[in-house]
Amino acid sequence: MTDETRPAPTLCPRCAFETIDRLATSPVPGVWDVLQCRQCLYTWRTTEPARRTRRDAYPEQFKMTLADIENAIEVPAVPPLRADAAH
Amino acid sequence: MAHDDLRSFLDTLDKEGQLLHLTEEVLPEPDLAAAANATGRIGENAPALYFDNVKGFTDARIAMNVHGSWANHALALGLPRTTPVKEQVETFAARWDAFPVAPERREDAPWRENTVEGADVDLFSVLPLFRLNDGDGGFYLDKAAVVSRDPEDPDNFGKQNVGTYRIEVIGTDRLAFQPVPMHDIAQHLRKAEEAGEDLPVAITLGNDPVTTIVAGMPMAYDQSEYEMAGALRGAPAPIATAPLTGFDVPWGSEVVIEGVIESRKRQIEGPFGEFTGHYSGGRRMPVIRVDRVSYRTNPVFESLYLGMPWTEVDYLVGPNTCVPLLKQLRAEFPEVQAVNAMYTHGLMVIISTAKRYGGFAKAVGMRAMTTPHGLGYVAQVILVDEDVDPFNLPQVMWAMSAKVNPRDDVVVIPNLSVLELAPAAQPAGITSKMIIDATTPVAPDVRGNFSTPAKDLPETKEWAAKLQELIAARR
Repeated sequence: MTDETRPAPTLCPRCAFETIDRLATSPVPGVWDVLQCRQCLYTWRTTEPARRTRRDAYPEQFKMTLADIENAIEVPAVPPLRADAAH
Repeated sequence: MAHDDLRSFLDTLDKEGQLLHLTEEVLPEPDLAAAANATGRIGENAPALYFDNVKGFTDARIAMNVHGSWANHALALGLPRTTPVKEQVETFAARWDAFPVAPERREDAPWRENTVEGADVDLFSVLPLFRLNDGDGGFYLDKAAVVSRDPEDPDNFGKQNVGTYRIEVIGTDRLAFQPVPMHDIAQHLRKAEEAGEDLPVAITLGNDPVTTIVAGMPMAYDQSEYEMAGALRGAPAPIATAPLTGFDVPWGSEVVIEGVIESRKRQIEGPFGEFTGHYSGGRRMPVIRVDRVSYRTNPVFESLYLGMPWTEVDYLVGPNTCVPLLKQLRAEFPEVQAVNAMYTHGLMVIISTAKRYGGFAKAVGMRAMTTPHGLGYVAQVILVDEDVDPFNLPQVMWAMSAKVNPRDDVVVIPNLSVLELAPAAQPAGITSKMIIDATTPVAPDVRGNFSTPAKDLPETKEWAAKLQELIAARR
């Protein structure tokens, strides 16, 4: 399959955000790409099963919203800066 | 024989019939993870898996399930592949006594063969990365030994930490990183972030089998994993100096990734199917910027499948969790015979102990909860008599069924600390903990009707050996 025939993904399977970056492409040309959602950082390979690559097949329990990301707790929490810290 | 790198161990596994080389073409997903998952579903002594024909890759070499059976774990320790589990744990405990064994510094590390730096760093071009479980947020490095130093005491070799943590690849040169608060690197990171400084790290992949075992082992803050590896190997651990950070890293690593945890930054991470058999994630975690990658020519990428137990991780962190608990308990209570902490990294522990006097076993259970590892684990402790083998689960179930009077022998303590990943914690990081005392009460605890226990006949041991000989001779 070539780049011309492969439909460009328009939607993150996990959070439905519309800006997708390409992180990697297969060493054998045209076999797969590794894509990443710019909002939730979900990363997938285009040859993975539909349950991991298509919004309409993505499992409900793993879906994420912008609110989930914004409200996610920090682990570990960032500690207070010491008074004598460099910056 | 001690193995100095992953490749020589893969050769040993191959010679012992414990390595399966898959030559047919497989898909990166879901085949690699599904095959490794399946090693835990085909009975005992599953082999390691080696893949070099993965669709879309021209140059991928992937090893999985390297520690994923008792046979492989025995070979990792240089023991015969048929060594029983209890004996592997006992050997591990005996070798521990040689700690510390000073490492041996070598200059000619094979990972010096290739280097990429700065803007040229692209993890995808060095590593054949892939997904493990459906709900994972991305591709993970889950079997690395990560080296960091105490920023307030950087020259202290003992405080230099070597640990395994979950690491998500979130860019060609960026990683998300999970330091569990109970683990040593979390202390390093806290000190660095309080000072507003980045924390340098060296992430080593594809290590000799003992380095991987010590990296997943709960050790004291100032104990060196390399000095423990030397004790377990029976030979000094070979180390080399990482070029960018100057940290001590394994000489035999396939890949050494160096960079920094960026100070005071957090980014969305996960989820990731964890050793608890549940996903955790959707939290904001520290981020690593990769500045340099060194790697052997034709590197082997080692990964580990984990999910619903048992999987490779349960073999990997089984014995190495039992032994520190055994040593720490015995230091104060020599009555402790054996510790089985192989369930979910010791979230549940079975301890065999003699009783000094009535109530003693419950005290041993409480002490297990207050060991360093116990603060984050040991949510349930079962105490059994000194003649019950804690690795023999039918015997343990017998002790529970015959010895326990629930009203007096089950103790629940509320609101204790546990690692945040523990699925039953409420809220995360807090749980009740339980002691089940399945030992025989001794004076002045005079409860129950235990005065006439039936013991194995004195001649049974001799007969067991005789029967085994006769059965073996018949084959």
